[in-house]
Amino acid sequence: MNCPIKTQENREWLLEYSAGQLDRERTAMIERHMEACPACARFVEEQRVVWDALGQWESPELSADFNRRLYQKIDQAQPSSWLQRFWRPMVPVAAMCLLIVAGVVLHTPTAVVNPVHSHVEGVEPEQVERTLDDLQMLRELSMTPAQEANSSRPM
Amino acid sequence: MPQWVKEDMGATSLAFDCDAELMLRVRDGDGASFALLLDKYRVSVAHFLYRMVQDQPVAEELAQEVFLRVYKSRESYEPTAKFTTWLYRIATHLALNWLRDEKNERGQERLDEVAEDGPVREVADRAPTVEHQMVRQVKLEEVRKAVAALPDKQRAAVLMHKYEEMDYSQIAKVLSCSESAVKSLLFRAYETLRVRLAHMA
Repeated sequence: MNCPIKTQENREWLLEYSAGQLDRERTAMIERHMEACPACARFVEEQRVVWDALGQWESPELSADFNRRLYQKIDQAQPSSWLQRFWRPMVPVAAMCLLIVAGVVLHTPTAVVNPVHSHVEGVEPEQVERTLDDLQMLRELSMTPAQEANSSRPM
Repeated sequence: MPQWVKEDMGATSLAFDCDAELMLRVRDGDGASFALLLDKYRVSVAHFLYRMVQDQPVAEELAQEVFLRVYKSRESYEPTAKFTTWLYRIATHLALNWLRDEKNERGQERLDEVAEDGPVREVADRAPTVEHQMVRQVKLEEVRKAVAALPDKQRAAVLMHKYEEMDYSQIAKVLSCSESAVKSLLFRAYETLRVRLAHMA
């Protein structure tokens, strides 16, 4: 076989061999190769050190109340009452209805009327003229004699 | 079980059959099946997360989040891969996110603090084996630090390869990359570990 380190072919065989996970046939091939290849033999030796060192690393025990806390979280994540369970599926339906109503209102031209605009359209010219006259009269009545004299003085 | 699922499972499918079947029952509302899956995988998932984040309370919280997500996703569960692939994908995703956030917030300081003040260096009494225990704890500390120094994805790959005994194909599915990328990740990771732990021979 070609040297796994030099050619990078089947490099994973070296890892698996070091971990004792390689099948019998490939194990025989690797062992024959290592007899003539110090680089691969050294690789295996160093990799075994790593493998054994990792094997000594134990994890702490889980808390005794792990399941209880988890089920508590699951309960909290569930809808709390039959009412919520009933209404939750209704929310998208309600939102859809609201959108449809909004769409209908916005796309109906006569549905919205601008009250200011319609009021202006309904005013006759005579009415405007009368209002202006009334305003002029009110202004004259509210003036003092001095102001009246000033306003009648030529500029 | 659909035929394509059986094909995906391949020759080593017995355990997957069981887990996926249990998860499908969870999907149908069977709480007892969820309890079985929880009992079967909570320790291995929590240990994987502990070795990833190296903080026990955080690892437990993340493990709880993993199983909470499994439960919440039950209605949309489809056995497109092995159950453990799906489970560890969730766990790895959570761990990588936590590590990213932790790095953003506090950098590497926290790991150093834990290394200096953590329980591994504490010696409870002066028992005859105290020296032996101390040597062992120092070695474990070196292993822990060497693994912690690996880039996050390399660390995840090594932990799944060593402790979960996953093959390259399954690790690739968990990490969403190719098998050759996994082999490359593992080789680089073990190369770093061989250098750092060579003196432990």
